[in-house]
Amino acid sequence: MAETDPITFEVVRNALASIADEMALIVMRSAVSPVVRDTMDYSTALCDGDGRIIAQGLTLAVQLGAFPYIMDVIREKHADDAQPGDVFIANDPYGSGGQHLPDIYIIKPIFADGVRCGYAATMAHHCDVGGIAPGSVALHATDIHQEGLRLPLLKLYEAGRANDTLFQVIERNTRLPGQVLGDIQAQLAACRAAERGLLELHRRHGAARLELYLTALQDEAERRMRAAIRSIPDGAYRFTDWIDGVGEPPQPLAIAVTVTVADDEVTVDFAGTSAQIDAAINCPIAMSRSATFCAIRCLGAEDIPNAEGYMRPVTVKAPAGTILNPLPPAACGARGVIGYRVFDAIMGALAEVVPERVIAGGEGGPTLFSVGGTHEGRQYVLTEVLVSTWGARAGLDGLDGVSNPAANLSNYPVELVEAEMPLKVTRYGLVPDSGGAGRRRGGLAAERAFEFLGDKSEFTLRTDRRDHPPYGIAGGAPGGASANSFTPAAGVERGLPTMPMQSFIARRGDCVSLVSAGGGGYGEPYEREPERVLDDVLEGRVSPGAAAEHYGVVLDAAGTAVNAAATRHRRARRAAE
Amino acid sequence: MVGVRLGVDIGGTFTDIVLSEPEGATRRLKVLSTPDDYSRGILDGISRALTQAGADPAAVADLVHATTVATNTILEQKGARTALVTTRGFRDVLEMRRLRIPVLYDLQYRKPPPLVPRRLRFEVTGRLGPSGAEWEPLDTADLARVVAQVAEAGVESVAVSLLHSYADPAHEARVVAALREALPAEIFVCPSSEILPEIREYERTSTAVVNAYVGPVVARYMAALEAGLTARGIAGEVHIMLSNGGVMGVGAARRKPAYLVESGPAAGVIASARAARAAGHDNVISFDMGGTTAKAAMIEGGRVAKTTEYEVGAGINLSAKLVKGGGYPVKLPFVDVSEIGAGGGSLVRVDDGGRITVGPESAGADPGPVCYGRGGTAATLTDALVTLGYINPVAIADGAIRLDAAAARAAIERQVARPLAMPAQAAAHGVLALACATMTRAVKAVSTYRGRDPRDFTLMAFGGNGPVVAVEVARALAMRRVLVPPAPGVFSAVGLLYSDLEHELTRTVLGRWAAPTPGELDAVYGAMADEARAIVGGAGTVFERAAELRYRGQAYELPVSLAPGPPDLAALQRAFADEHERTYGYRSDDEPIELVNLKLVARRPVGGAPTRPAISGGGEGEGKGEGASREVYFGPDGGVHRTPLGGRGLLAAGPREGPLVIEEPDATCVVPPGSRARLDDAGNIDIEIDMTEHA
Repeated sequence: MAETDPITFEVVRNALASIADEMALIVMRSAVSPVVRDTMDYSTALCDGDGRIIAQGLTLAVQLGAFPYIMDVIREKHADDAQPGDVFIANDPYGSGGQHLPDIYIIKPIFADGVRCGYAATMAHHCDVGGIAPGSVALHATDIHQEGLRLPLLKLYEAGRANDTLFQVIERNTRLPGQVLGDIQAQLAACRAAERGLLELHRRHGAARLELYLTALQDEAERRMRAAIRSIPDGAYRFTDWIDGVGEPPQPLAIAVTVTVADDEVTVDFAGTSAQIDAAINCPIAMSRSATFCAIRCLGAEDIPNAEGYMRPVTVKAPAGTILNPLPPAACGARGVIGYRVFDAIMGALAEVVPERVIAGGEGGPTLFSVGGTHEGRQYVLTEVLVSTWGARAGLDGLDGVSNPAANLSNYPVELVEAEMPLKVTRYGLVPDSGGAGRRRGGLAAERAFEFLGDKSEFTLRTDRRDHPPYGIAGGAPGGASANSFTPAAGVERGLPTMPMQSFIARRGDCVSLVSAGGGGYGEPYEREPERVLDDVLEGRVSPGAAAEHYGVVLDAAGTAVNAAATRHRRARRAAE
Repeated sequence: MVGVRLGVDIGGTFTDIVLSEPEGATRRLKVLSTPDDYSRGILDGISRALTQAGADPAAVADLVHATTVATNTILEQKGARTALVTTRGFRDVLEMRRLRIPVLYDLQYRKPPPLVPRRLRFEVTGRLGPSGAEWEPLDTADLARVVAQVAEAGVESVAVSLLHSYADPAHEARVVAALREALPAEIFVCPSSEILPEIREYERTSTAVVNAYVGPVVARYMAALEAGLTARGIAGEVHIMLSNGGVMGVGAARRKPAYLVESGPAAGVIASARAARAAGHDNVISFDMGGTTAKAAMIEGGRVAKTTEYEVGAGINLSAKLVKGGGYPVKLPFVDVSEIGAGGGSLVRVDDGGRITVGPESAGADPGPVCYGRGGTAATLTDALVTLGYINPVAIADGAIRLDAAAARAAIERQVARPLAMPAQAAAHGVLALACATMTRAVKAVSTYRGRDPRDFTLMAFGGNGPVVAVEVARALAMRRVLVPPAPGVFSAVGLLYSDLEHELTRTVLGRWAAPTPGELDAVYGAMADEARAIVGGAGTVFERAAELRYRGQAYELPVSLAPGPPDLAALQRAFADEHERTYGYRSDDEPIELVNLKLVARRPVGGAPTRPAISGGGEGEGKGEGASREVYFGPDGGVHRTPLGGRGLLAAGPREGPLVIEEPDATCVVPPGSRARLDDAGNIDIEIDMTEHA
């Protein structure tokens, strides 16, 4: 860090982090849609005058890694004509750095003394941007033109003046204009707060000095990421994870990855991945790359600065025309399942060489359940993003009741669902025996079940990991498979496809149950300490039968203590086989 | 009230006792805390204080106590064996939480274990809907089965939290009645609708569980304390400080111990509000820095800012309001204190990559900073301050703690200066600057994050280390004035004597009326006042009415106060829109505004009349003599100065320009160059900072 002193470096880093967090807090508190305010499906970042990320709010990793793409587009199109009072908006995955249409970027350039010194950047998942089904994440869309309002990079404000035409277009293209416009206001408020904060920092340090430290911040992030990569032995590590596929019966889709480590650089190549398909799970490149950066970043220390310099030693190659780099007009509303699986696939590849630093397969990304209709004269849309479980780690059981590591989503309180929508939640909880067996056990799956109370509701669903459950590591068993079902008010329960190519109509009294996959295990299950297995049984996480079958642990008749002799015998017999 | 009043503030290391006599004389005493049984240290300390004062135990009129017992019970996971009874299908709500975790990119994360293990979470059949309508009756046979299981489980405490009980507590009440009938009388039973009748099942359940988990421990503690006081002939009333800055009697505190979790930090903020108001300052940010952490809170227009977003045991996390999941939510009124891990004992580290950090790890009191000579070898912020000359190089606390300045300097030299290739003085000043940068985040979290500009506020600095760094912190935020109260090191304990009996009530009225008339609103406030009066009691009770509103669809409300006179919905809505604009920078005049909660605070001064404990500054230059001075390094901008030293007496003759160091038994106050200090009428050191010099 030539020419900079380490004290000021930390002072600046601290101040930047504080601004990005303040942005995130403002969005959370002033947003109006459930998916933003409660599920917290949004992200905030601060960029320098060239659009390089210099800080990010504690929000969603998989969104944060996509900001560089929209900033590239802004640099390309508006390097010269951005002016004070401008605000940009975009959501288009093709040419504007978007991930899928509901994720809307709101980005404000910041000027100090007439010179651009930064950008405040936000992205939020909006509850509805039109399209063929409520929530705009219909998996059965086959073309992006069915998915709703497409916004290439545009100015929502120009020199402080609102673009009323654009506001009216947005208003007319969503089922819930109040919520969408309200959330845009929340994003704008966050941008204004960032502007104040960054200008204050400029006032204190001066442009030239601050620039020096921002460069140092990027270099430091890069240096630390390189050090983390260097600690992985050189080599090419391959893994293929599978998406169940769409419809019924589904055709599996491959996510093939080769992670090549060469000294302090890593290349992640997705050659061999399946071609794009006519369903809305194609994952635009912005998210594929973002998920890749997140996975590699997880191998480094937690205190790497949140500046995009950490991305420099990482090269991502995703062949065009595949599900990881689709060409227009591929639909992508429900792309998350593929994006999150990129994370799992990279973990699977690196398990071969640094198993102690990775994590076994988790639930595989959120189950997306979107339901809407008209109730008592008002339109409603519920977008549930159900996350649940982690795979096991070398030294630790998988977590349950937690968000996917590439996300950091929250859940929507049951009482609010019931207060605001014609729905009854009939169960929300953990599923016993769903954690993959291992010396360290995978996290448990979660179930969320609903009864429809409206006369007529329409829902779409996107899940996965029924046919290809989350993998285990080092002898650990895979996690439990997902299971989704529909039970009509007068009828029998039937299974739903994991990725149905249709929306469903539900009537009053019909029920739907969504069970996620469980996390994969780590290490040989027969090496798990019998006392831990006993504890799992007492906690209702593992049944006595599974304790014997999967772990070789036999309990006494009352089921409250380990039968040591029988356990030894059972485990020895298995070892002898 | 005539008689001796006692304030007792327990910290991790020291217990501060303040004794106030009727004639206005006030004494203070610092004794070591006794973590194995905190009441022992308190009782011994009180006896000593009474002896020193020559006061009769029978003359003690009341004792106000800030306690860490509830917080420590959770931090140490030593609460009661607790069961939870909840709605069928939802026993995992407590464990699944809100899913989010407080870190990104950490695959080795561990979740805090639930306070009630899964095997002690029982489900009962029966269901209410969101408006309280009964969707499914409570199943009597199933309830009997659950009650039998709870009875068999050998628990000390039971939380009951059923879906939508905020709308109608009837099902919970039946579960509670069945439990009370079947269980021994000493078992603590807490229905969620009693502790927090608000929507959102996880937060309500968590609050009830925390209450149940700490309940028996707090009750035992209170009983031991009361018994010990009785045995010493002290019969005065005992009041406990709450997290919101009010106090409760012991009986109420036993029933609702979750209200006590931030008892200690609240006291200092209340003291700040009172002391600042007395000195004519309405807008103040309190800044309390001790050995381990620094805490900031906002007082605006004389009112302490509060929050209900709090997690116990989450550790110190600046983004706590944003990133949840690190601790155990308690959604009750708290003084909004932002706490960060920067105190005198904070460890200074330089890693292999040349990155320097100060805190959050702390050397604590044992072994403490290197300069304490108690075996500490890792450089701390205090060692940097001694190296700079900010802190006396020989001894502090009236000579009670001897310092080894050479050892401090050597540690800074070896562990910080050399790895960073800087001179020792510059490195020490860098450590101070970095600590201040971290501390400014705590101040921002209670000000700019609420849309407030710190420049409109005075910084009230206290705690053992607050006055040492206050001017540096203020300057980093462009704040122009710092106040240092008398006896800053025991200021929180003094605050206990300022506190009022207080009870805060909330009624959720969302959706109750389309447009309530003043009479309808008055009826609700009137009922709340009756309930609060029964708790706070007596004449002289004053009520403050407030309401919480939001734009339709928002999840977070903003509070506004009611003007005197009949409550007017339109006026409330206007006040809300103004507050929204102030906090978030915009208003939406076309959006409907919802009235969510009505709030009422009932407040009665303890003993019926406010007392103002006067504390002499103490240590007026004793042992230092006229013209005492030492060299102090004020950083690259301030330079090295031969700096006059003394007690508050240094300012007796009138205002003085910095640099000055004011050394008192319990704290040191540093007045750097470019600032000017004087004593105000209340004995506060009032420091004005010249901003032009360091713009």
